[in-house]
Order: sequence, then structure tokens, then C-alpha cells
Amino acid sequence: MGLDINTKKAKKNAFRIGKVRGEGASRIRVPGGYLKAEILGLVQEIAQKYGNGVVHLTTRQGFEIEGIRLEDMDAINEMLQPIIELLDINQENPGTGYPASGTRNVCACIGNNVCPFANYNTSEFAKRIEDEIFPNDLHFKIALTGCPNDCAKVRLHDFGIVGMTMPQYDPGRCVSCQACIKGCKSLSVDALRMENYKIVRDEEKCIGCGVCVTKCPTRAFTRSKKKYYRLTLMGRTGKRNPRLGEDFLLWTDEDTIVKIILNTYRFVKEYINPKAPGGKEHIGYIIDRVGFTEYKKWALEGVELLPETKMKECVYWNGVHFDR
Amino acid sequence: MGYQISRETANQIFAQLKEHYDIFAPKVFAGEGCFSDTDVIRYGKINALDEIEWERRSEYSFKEALLAVNETLFYFTEEETTVVSCSEKRLLIFLRSCDLHALKRLDAIYLENGPEDFYYRRLREKASFVLMGCSTTCENGFCVSMGTNRCDSYALYLKISEESVWADCKSQDLLPYFEKAQTCEVQPEYVTENAEKVTLPKNLSVDSFSNPIWEEYGSRCIGCGRCNFVCPTCTCFTMQDILYRDNENVGERRRVWASCQVDGYDEIAGGIEFRKTQGERLRFKVMHKIYDFEKRFGYPMCVGCGRCDSVCPEYISYTSLINRLAKEEA
Amino acid sequence: MKNEYIPFPSQVKEIIRHTDIEYTFRMSFSGDVKPGQFFEVSIPKFGEAPISVSGIGEDTVDLTIRKVGRVTNQIFEHYEGNSLLMRGPYGNGFDIAQFQGKEVVVIAGGTGLSPVKGIVDHFSKHPEDAVRTTLIAGFKSPQDVLFKEDFKDWEKTLNVIKTVDTAPEGYDGLTGMVTKYIPDLPLSDIPNTVFITVGPPVMIQFTIQEILKRKVPEENIWISHERKMCCGLGKCGHCKMDSTYICLDGPVFNYAKGKNLID
Repeated sequence: MGLDINTKKAKKNAFRIGKVRGEGASRIRVPGGYLKAEILGLVQEIAQKYGNGVVHLTTRQGFEIEGIRLEDMDAINEMLQPIIELLDINQENPGTGYPASGTRNVCACIGNNVCPFANYNTSEFAKRIEDEIFPNDLHFKIALTGCPNDCAKVRLHDFGIVGMTMPQYDPGRCVSCQACIKGCKSLSVDALRMENYKIVRDEEKCIGCGVCVTKCPTRAFTRSKKKYYRLTLMGRTGKRNPRLGEDFLLWTDEDTIVKIILNTYRFVKEYINPKAPGGKEHIGYIIDRVGFTEYKKWALEGVELLPETKMKECVYWNGVHFDR
Repeated sequence: MGYQISRETANQIFAQLKEHYDIFAPKVFAGEGCFSDTDVIRYGKINALDEIEWERRSEYSFKEALLAVNETLFYFTEEETTVVSCSEKRLLIFLRSCDLHALKRLDAIYLENGPEDFYYRRLREKASFVLMGCSTTCENGFCVSMGTNRCDSYALYLKISEESVWADCKSQDLLPYFEKAQTCEVQPEYVTENAEKVTLPKNLSVDSFSNPIWEEYGSRCIGCGRCNFVCPTCTCFTMQDILYRDNENVGERRRVWASCQVDGYDEIAGGIEFRKTQGERLRFKVMHKIYDFEKRFGYPMCVGCGRCDSVCPEYISYTSLINRLAKEEA
Repeated sequence: MKNEYIPFPSQVKEIIRHTDIEYTFRMSFSGDVKPGQFFEVSIPKFGEAPISVSGIGEDTVDLTIRKVGRVTNQIFEHYEGNSLLMRGPYGNGFDIAQFQGKEVVVIAGGTGLSPVKGIVDHFSKHPEDAVRTTLIAGFKSPQDVLFKEDFKDWEKTLNVIKTVDTAPEGYDGLTGMVTKYIPDLPLSDIPNTVFITVGPPVMIQFTIQEILKRKVPEENIWISHERKMCCGLGKCGHCKMDSTYICLDGPVFNYAKGKNLID
């Protein structure tokens, strides 16, 4: 009797159908790439029991347990349950594995749990987004990075979130040592200068990276209480027109970003090509088709931007066109 | 005289004190640390006893209560200078034993080294000091090695628990506040042992300047000056003339904290710098702390608070450097 | 209590231009002042700088200011009749009495001539006070020579060696560094000879090397240290060398002590 597998269902259930007949891989999402070490042991157990003992660390910060037999999918789903629970992944029926795979794992750099440059806790924000958007079959890629160094390469994602801080300057604590000026010049965008022995920040130029704050030896520069973000849109890889995401909002906040992402799901449901192969059409191509103005209308539905937020009225993308 | 009072009574006394005193104490400035979601403990004016951070050592010392980071000396026009007035209120400064010993070093520079400093003197005269005891050693502190773990030259000693406050009042000015309080024996808490132990080298001299250790540590130094800015005994400043934008003939002269580790500290007209490398600057600082200040005033400058070791972003350990110097001698 | 930081206004009596960048300001001042001492001179608009006394008159002091840095650039735009704010004098200065009856050799480089000019003036007016007085003064080029008028007087009474580092072709004066003239100085009684040397740090270093080669005891050499003296009051810390505050204990040092002062 031949193996009778609904591959569409299996893929949605986060299994990959591999090139060796009857074999595949089990894909484990880890929002923000942030996990308790004990999960590693659980992954190891599955890999040794049902796989070929090898695990691939995916480009989206998940695990892919290689060499599993497709007939073992149910048993593997049982073993995935503690992992899903430890990571607190939204799930409808316990023991049945992941309910969707279209919306990809939300990636993040290590963030301010460890990194001195990071402007926020990337894994916490990644988890918040994951909770809001998963499970969903629509193909969304979201990544977060702690600072404009963009170690997470968020501009290759549909939504890129870059941490910012609004430097707070207390001239009374400033000793004119110019560590901030030197730091900004050598590591960032050269947005600071000294006038009358005090620092003047070019607000147009400043990218909110926070280098001035980490360089300041007297706490004259500190971080804003409020955390700010840069939101970049519709970066992508792929066969037709790979491109970097472009800035949409500067100095925005978490709530706005979450709302825009959720609004984008509604937009995609409205405009996705019903005949798209596998029900899969990248958001970026939909926006290309429908126009940014229409997208923006949907994206900003019910959104109240902060007074300090700067929005790009129109966004233009470039990139490499292989389809022309 | 020793007293035990309730926390509530202490709060009432604090409220009374506030009418006559500006009160400075270490407090937590949430989110204002160097890195995202970190705090800094430094000195600030406080309005309630509860604002004081009792557990952890402040990252920056008490010195800014007497020597502002930026201090305006006078305003000037083309013809006249006008000295900045200072508040009528007296000062009450909460600090630990090491810092109270540091006060003696500040006095040495500002009151004994050359003519008395007008601005320091007028604040110093108004200041009283409240000793905060230490029940355990702080990170990197080596007060026991420096003999600064104990002191009795305080106006008031306070120890605080959830319900009670114990006080030892030595100041006649403050005694009336405790008039109704129940008396008892109160001895300041102090540490008798630090994790960090430091032996000062005994035979430093001009010859020590050529020790390769300075270059070894100096090559790791980024010259940020944090060690100076957190130090309770560093007193250097630079003069700055600020010109008002609307009228450049009018302005103010300020003195601003300076660091011997930062570029420009010893630069004279014509761009001549005497200590060009961080190694030379590090040597200048360390020798001042443990050698040449003592030669001038009779006791080491360093009080062993350990702040410089805790703050250095490059993990340059001043204590380990000193211990190595001492070991080389042995 | 006196506020030592408050400057007093002093009228600019006269301005003597030496070069394009060096001027002497004759300031009204009555009070005790010695050669080698300095004032903190400020124009409120631009800030303070320590300036050596380069001459002492009845009711005046001379301040020779070189046009370097932010402060001094602007002083040149003020002229006779205006006032400058200043504080001082600060520092120990030279004690001319110590040099009397000796053979005196003054070696100065550039503006280093300012702090010793009072000494040269004294022995020029009273040549009998010294066995002999020699001035070796070095400047970068003929255009940089300071106190040109004074040199005319000095040359009448003192042994003057005025040299420039480099000169255009046809220059009829002496050339070369000041150190070039030390080995051949006629010194009759070395134990009774005093050397006074002021100038840029590198010049002082090489000059002293040459002096010591002449077997001059260290105690017979005097130097003045130019350092960053922000306050002049022993507070700001910038001028400290070892346990010595140049503004309080200096800037003039006997070399026997001064040699141990390392920055």
C-alpha cells in the first residue's frame, strides 16, 4: 500500500515534504529565537527517535528536524506538544502540532537581554507579535532588530522593526568631553556637534541609535522613557524582484506597529489573488498590484500616530527586477 | 545620642528637615543607565526618605552635591561680573563611610591647596552629612584595605528597616528633631572585610613611571573618563566661558568637571600635549591616587570605594593594577 | 571671604606689535609682581588663558601674547584704551637676587623669552649686578623675532646671541638652534654660573642636555614650566606634575627639583 499523505495539510501542519520519498522534516518555530535551553533537549529527543539525528538551525531561527518518516507525523506532533507549550505558541488542538505555517516565525536579534547597543527587548516584542498573528496561513515575514545596525537584517522582511531611542540631553551633566560626538561620527550618522560647549543634535539626521547614550560618561545623554521604532515595509528575497524594505514610519511605537500588521492581514485577505498557487501571494506583490495608496489606507485604519512620528507619505521600492 | 523611632516618625522628621535643608541622597534614576532598560543610581535632591537607595552603592559619588558637574561662577557683561547667589537652605547629604573619608580629600584641594575656594566653601559650610551604614561589602569596594570603612565625623547616622529607624545624632543642630524620640544605643554598621583586598605599593617613585604596566593597561583604555567622573576624590575642572547667543558680549563663566583621561586635559596653546598616550594618562591618575597626593597631604587620595572598577567599560581593574604594582615590589 | 575667581579690569595702556601674531600689551597694574609670574587674562567673550609677565613698569605689567588658540586670537582686536579682565599675579616667579654676583646665562625660545625678559631687562640696566650676562634667544625665523627694540638695548650691555632656526638666503644674523651655542660659551667660573632656560618642552630638554655637558651643577639651572593652568589657584588640577602644582609651587623651578617633575 502506497503512502497516503495530504501534502497540503502536512505543510500547513509545519512539516516539509523532502526530496527523499516518504521523508520530510518537522519545523519548530521559536519566536524571537528566544527559548529555554530545556527545549533543546526535547528537540534532540525527537531528532533521535524519529529523525536521522540531525537538526538544521533555520534561517528564521527555528529548528528543522531532518529525516523524519512522514507516517510518524502524528507521533511527532505528540512529542512537539511540550515544546509548543514551553514557547506558549497559540494552538487550537493540543497534541496536533502547529495549526499553521504560512505566517513565518517572527525573527529577532538578541536585543537588550544581552546586547549593549539594543534599544529594546526584541524577544518580548517578537512574542507579542507572534501572539497577535499566529496561527495564520497567509505568508508574512516579520523581523525585529534592536538598533539600526540591523543584525537581524529586517529590511529583507515584509515588516522590519528597528529599535530607536530619543536621546534625552541634560546639559547640566555634560562635561563637553565629546565622546558622544566622536561616537556618533565614527559609529553612526554624525548628527551631533558642539556649540557653546554643549551638544546640539540634528534631529533630521538622528536615527535614534543610542550610541550617544552608551558613550556618555556622565549620564548627560540618557534614553527616552518611551521606546521608539522604525518600521520598514516589504523587503523580500525571491525570484522576481528581490529588494530591501523601505522606511514607512520613524519614531513610532509598539501599538501602532501591531495594529498595522493586523490591518495588513485584512488587506491581504481582501486583495490576494484567489488563483495564487497554493493560496500564496507575497504581500509585497499585492501592494505592487493594488498600489501603495490603497495599502496605506488599510494599514492606517484605526491607527493614531504619535505626534513625533514621521510617516513617509508614499513609499517607493527599487531592487533587482528579473521579471522585466 | 542614639534613638529608635518608627518609620512614620522618621518621615515626619524628614518633612520637617526639608523646610530647612536641601537633602541629597543616592537614588535610582529608572531607565537612565548606560544601556537600554537599565537604571543608574546617582545623587539627586530627594523629597522623601523612601526615595533613598539604601542597598546598592551609587554609581556616581556624592561629590556632585558639593561640586556641580557644571557650576556657574559668575555672569559677565563687558564691564561687570556678578557672582551667582546660592540657596539659603542648608544641605544634608547622605553618604557612606568611604565617601565621608573622600570629603576630607575634597577639603584638602578646595580649602587647603592654595587659597580657599569661594564656591566650595560656601556650600561646605552649609552641609551636614548623614552616614549610611554598610552591612555587607559592595562590589569591588576595598575600604577596609584603605582604612576608610569606619568613620565618626558624621552629623547623623541612620539605619532603616521596614518599620523602624535607628539614629545616632552628633550634631547640635539636628538634635531638636529627635527631642521626643526614644533613646537607645546606636552604633554605625560598618564592614570589617571586603572581597577585594588591596595592598598599596610602598616604594613608588619617579622610576615607577617607566613600568611597562601603564602601557599594558593603557592600551586597553578608551579614554572615556568614567573612572574620574564616578570617583569621589577626583576634583579637576575646566573653565568655560559661555556667550549668550542674543548678545555675545554677555555670558557666564562656568567650571565643568574634567578628566585627566580625556583628550585635551593637559593641552596648552599651540596644541602641545604632555601625556599623549592613554598609558601615560592612566599612570598620571593612578600615581595621583596612591602616591603623589599622599606626598603632598600625608594620606592616600583613594578611599577604596571601588566605583572606578565597577564602571570601566573596558574592565580595567585599578585594584588589580595596584596589587600587581605591590607584588612587583615584594 | 575673597572670591579668587573674579577678575579685575585693567586698562590697555599700549600695544607693541612684534610680529603678525605676537603683541605685547602694556597693562595698568600696581602691585607686587615678579618676572616669571603669570596672570589669568580673559576677555569675557572668549575665556581665560595664563599669560606670563614679560615686563614690569612703574604702574604697568607687560603681557606678551601669542596668537594661538581661541582666546588670544581675539585679544588682538582690542586696542589702547580698552580694558581686559585679569586675575593674578600667580606663581612664584624668578628671584633676581639669587642671580646677583653670578655669571648669568639666559636661554629662551620663542615666547619663552617673556617670562625671563624681566631678568634680562634687570641685568641690562644693571650690568654690574652680574659677572657677565649672556642671552641666547632662538626664534623660528627672522619674522618671528620678539622684542626687536629691546634687543637693541640689550646688545649694548649684554652678550647677546640671537639665532633663528631657518632664515632666507642673505640673512646676516645667526642661524641654528639655541643648543648650537652652548658648547662654545665662554664660561670662566662654572660653579658661579647660573643658567635660566625657558621655552617649548623639547627645547628645554635639549638645552639642559647641553648645559649639563658643560659640567654645570643641576642646582645652577633654573627652568619655568608652561602648563595648562586653568585656575591658577591649585584647584583645577590640570597643571599638576607629581605632587607639585605648577601654578602654586612654580612655574619656576630649580632643575634639581624640576628634573623630577614628569608630566
